[in-house]
This record gives sequence, C-alpha cells and structure tokens, in this order.
Amino acid sequence: MLDFQLALSQPEAHPSEGVYDLIVLGGGPAGLTAAIYAGRARIQTLVILGPLPGGQPANTEEVENFPGFPEGIGGADLARRFLAQAERFGARLIPASVTGVDLSIRPFIIRTDGATYRAHTLVIAMGAVPRRLGVPGEDRFFGRGVSTCATCDGFFYRDKRVVVVGGGDSAIIEGLYLTRFAREVIVVHRRDQLRATRIYQERAFANPRMRFLWDSVVEEILGEQTVTGVRVRHLKTGETSIIEADGVFVYIGMEPQTQLFVGQLELDEHGYIITDRRQRTSVPGVFAAGDIQDPFYRQLVVAASTGAIAAMEVEKYLELYPQSPQGSDRW
Amino acid sequence: MPLLSDEIRQEVSKILANLPRSVRLVMFTQEVECAYCAETRQLVEEIAELSDRITAEIYDFQADRAKAEELGIDKIPAIAVIGAQDYGVRFYGIPAGYEFTSFLHAIQSVAVGKPDLSDATLHALAEVRQPVHIQVFVTPTCPYCPQAVMLAHQMAIASPLIRADMIEATEFPHLAFKYQVMGVPRTVINETVHIEGAAPESIVVAKLREALGG
Ligand SMILES: Cc1cc2nc3c(=O)[nH]c(=O)nc-3n(C[C@H](O)[C@H](O)[C@H](O)COP(=O)(O)OP(=O)(O)OC[C@H]3O[C@@H](n4cnc5c(N)ncnc54)[C@H](O)[C@@H]3O)c2cc1C
Repeated sequence: MLDFQLALSQPEAHPSEGVYDLIVLGGGPAGLTAAIYAGRARIQTLVILGPLPGGQPANTEEVENFPGFPEGIGGADLARRFLAQAERFGARLIPASVTGVDLSIRPFIIRTDGATYRAHTLVIAMGAVPRRLGVPGEDRFFGRGVSTCATCDGFFYRDKRVVVVGGGDSAIIEGLYLTRFAREVIVVHRRDQLRATRIYQERAFANPRMRFLWDSVVEEILGEQTVTGVRVRHLKTGETSIIEADGVFVYIGMEPQTQLFVGQLELDEHGYIITDRRQRTSVPGVFAAGDIQDPFYRQLVVAASTGAIAAMEVEKYLELYPQSPQGSDRW
Repeated sequence: MPLLSDEIRQEVSKILANLPRSVRLVMFTQEVECAYCAETRQLVEEIAELSDRITAEIYDFQADRAKAEELGIDKIPAIAVIGAQDYGVRFYGIPAGYEFTSFLHAIQSVAVGKPDLSDATLHALAEVRQPVHIQVFVTPTCPYCPQAVMLAHQMAIASPLIRADMIEATEFPHLAFKYQVMGVPRTVINETVHIEGAAPESIVVAKLREALGG
C-alpha cells in the first residue's frame, strides 16, 4: 500500500518580506493545532516545520488514544491530516528549521538557514527530541546501528536481533513494531516492571518475539564496523553481561528543544519553557505549547489543546495591541 | 485506480499552481522485474496531469539506453526532474510516503531555478571545481529523510558540478548493503564521505569540502 505525505505550501513570490501576524515554530500537533485555529481566525500565519513535519506522530507506528479514531490511526496518517488541516485554513507551511531567534526586539526575528522572518507574535512548539543514552559507542554508531526511529530504520533489521532500551509507551509501542522485522526484540529496562500503559504491556508480554531484561542498564554499545551487541549491567547484582544484537533502539524519554531560548525566555530547571494557564511565556506576545513546555503529560491530545489555547491568546493579543493591527495592508 | 486520492490531488494542484517555468519529469522504467516501476510511472503521469507546466516523458531503460546514459541514469525506477536546465536532480525508487514532499519540492525548486540556501552555503558551493555526487538513502516511512533529500537537491541546483540522488533503500537493497546503510537518512558524498541523519546545511557543506579533500 502506497501513501503520500505532503508537508509543503506554494512558494512565496517574495519570501520573508512582510511581517507575519504569527509565526509558529514547529510543525507538530501543538504547532499545527495553533495554525488551524489562527488560520480560521484569519491571522496571517507562517509555520516553520522543522526536521519532523507533523511532529512525533510522524515517527510513531500507531496512535490509539487520540479521540475520534476508535480503531486507532497510523501515526503518519495523523501527521498528514494535521498538516493538511493547517494548510487548508491558510497557514503557510515551510520545510525549514529555525536556527536563531531574537525576542528582544519587535517585530520578533526568526532565522532559518536561508532566510529571516519577522512576526508580531510567536507560538513556540518545537517539542522535544529523544534523549540519548550517553554511553560509549552511541555516537559512533548513531544512524549505523543505533536509532531512535523504528519506523525509519526497522526495515534494515529484517531477521536480526535488536535491543530496545526503555520501558515506557514509546519503547513498547516501537518494540512491538520492530517484531515485524526483527526475529527477536530484547527490551532492556532499568526497573523491574514496565511503565507503559497496561494495554501495551499485555501485548508485549504476549508477543513471542519479545524478551525482557529487568533492572538493567546499557553501559556500552559494542562493535567494530557494525553494532555487534551491548554491555549491560544489572542494577541489583552489579553484574555485567554482553547481549548480542545487530541494532539498538533508544526510547528513554524526551528532552525539550529549548537551547535557542536560553537567556531569552524563562525555563524551568529541566529546560522546559515556563508558561501560565494561558500559554504565555515570560515575553509578552510569545506563547509556547506542547511538549516544549510540558514536563508532565506529553500526550498528543494535550499538546493539541495547548496549541489551541496559544492561538486563541494570540488572537486576543493582536486585538489588544495596536502596534500589530490585524488585517493591515502590510502584505 | 489512481494512486493519488482526490484530497491529495487537490492539495498538489494548489502547491503546483503558478510554477514560474516548465518542468519535465523524465522517467525510466521497464516492463519486467522492477518493483514499483509501474507505480512510479503512474505517479509521474498523475502529477503531470495536475499542472500544464509539467510534462511526463517515459523511457524504457533498455530500449532507450542512450537517453539513460545522457542523463546518467543507472538504475530504475528513475526520475530526472528537469527545469530550464538539467540541474542533476534525481529520484531512484518511488517518491512515495514522506518522499512525496521531497518530490514536489524538487519540482517547485527546479521551476524556480534559484536555490534556497544561505549565502555562506552558496559561497562555498561556488568554490566547487570538481564533480560531486551526493546520494541520499531513505525509506518511505522516514519523516526526517525529506530534509536531507531536499537539501542535497538544493545543492545540485546551486552548482552545475553537483548532482544529487534520492535512493529509496528498500528498492535497492544491494546498494543499501554496499553503502552499509543501517539507518536513514544516510548521505554519501563522492563514495567516500558519509553523513548520518538530517544534518544542517553548515555540516553538509563541511562534509562536502572534506570529500573534495579540504
Ligand atoms: C514513539 C512515540 C510514541 C508516542 N505515542 C503517543 C500516543 O500513542 N499517544 C499520545 O497521545 N502521545 C504519544 N506520544 C507523545 C506525542 O507524540 C507528543 O506528546 C506530541 O507529539 C507533542 O507534540 P508537540 O507538537 O509539542 O511536539 P512534537 O510532536 O515533538 O513536534 C515538534 C515539532 O517541532 C519541529 N521542530 C523541531 N526543531 C525545530 C526547529 N529548530 N525549527 C523549527 N521546527 C522545529 C519538529 O519538526 C516538529 O514538527 C508518543 C511519542 C513518541 C516519541
């Protein structure tokens, strides 16, 4: 079955000239929901999609807890729908990544590799990126045997043996996906039980291709040219052992993508952007939504809801502040 | 049965409206033993229907050998995306899944004919004096891959000495094996230098310099 993903708008005749009412940084569920709301409010909106158009659902096999899809929905399909809906209501989507921001002047300045954009308001929704293990061998083999994207790389492990590190929803969902390719999937988890939602646990325990290594952490990724295994340490006995494997998939949580905002926005001690109930940040006119400001829930429906709040607050903000009049002829 | 749903067709028509110049999709196929040749051909023809600025040209890899050699096509299915000139933008394997975005972006980009790259990158590419071949390995289910493909194609548009291929790894397993692809995107420059993941422009430029020996 072929599918066709689309994350693009018509090219602009004179890019980066006008001042946007709103620039959304990040094209995941939070950013695209903000764009849907902003578009319907007729706010001129640019969405800078970044490396993962559609956000994390784009690299998730299946989503079962997003309301409205009783049979579940493919992550890629959901991502495509978010993008299409944002585009339909007039947001302009561009495949670029933000490389710099200046929140100290108005309009705010947003830089990508190729261009500079200006906007009266921002919604920051750049989400989070997978946390790395930080063990020897990981960097050397990243993309060559160590992966954080099962949907991308599962194909290369047909009939092979892989290790999945982690015990949360992502580790188990993606581990289950990998059993379609790999002959054996060994889950290495630091605790003696999974953190994943019960329904995923039940499926994992019932899957004959899945094995579990409890109370264990990966200490090193081994191999010469290619990955040949991992060295694990048992946390209770302190013993180390070597597990043979051809690949390692790391799902040990996410880190907020806030490096660009250090010194410009208030962040909490873990690096999340601090927001209030109206998704306002420490800089007026700058709102944040989704996983980048959510240390607690990190769920699609929560990300989407904060995106909606941010856009509704943008609308109010633009109405309130005459330096950024809506519908002026600056286009 | 059309490959593209009505919904996608509508979106594509919108995205491809107002192309500034015409675009030729030169596709190579053959009758037998080619997974996705038929679908790739159909895709190219369906896209061409959606804009009067786009034409589909279909060639047989065996019978039209000379044409294939002229365009440097060495495997199928292949699509050369050609604008006012041939910038060296190629797709090997069907541009489906996430690569559909790369494909439409390539069409837009060759029609515009002006690369969307930073000044620093353009300066660096202007210094290139030898041929450069960039191969970007992808899978259709890799959402990070289009970024690497689009960047490589922009570089091809920027320099007459650079050509850039998308290679769909699952359709060319022997190449995936040869280049030791265990994860995507994986970019190989001039057979020697490789990049794992979707790297930012500055890193790809540095790697390109490395491939050219400094
Ligand atoms: C494997 C996995 C499975 C999951 N399964 C579920 C599930 O079943 N149900 C559920 O509710 N949740 C699930 N989640 C969590 C859910 O995906 C996230 O909570 C949600 O995607 C957060 O949305 P977001 O928009 O805040 O950020 P993200 O989805 O992380 O999107 C971030 C966006 O920012 C962009 N970006 C990043 N850097 C830049 C940059 N420099 N410039 C511009 N843009 C940038 C990215 O390209 C992306 O578009 C899962 C997560 C993972 C990893």
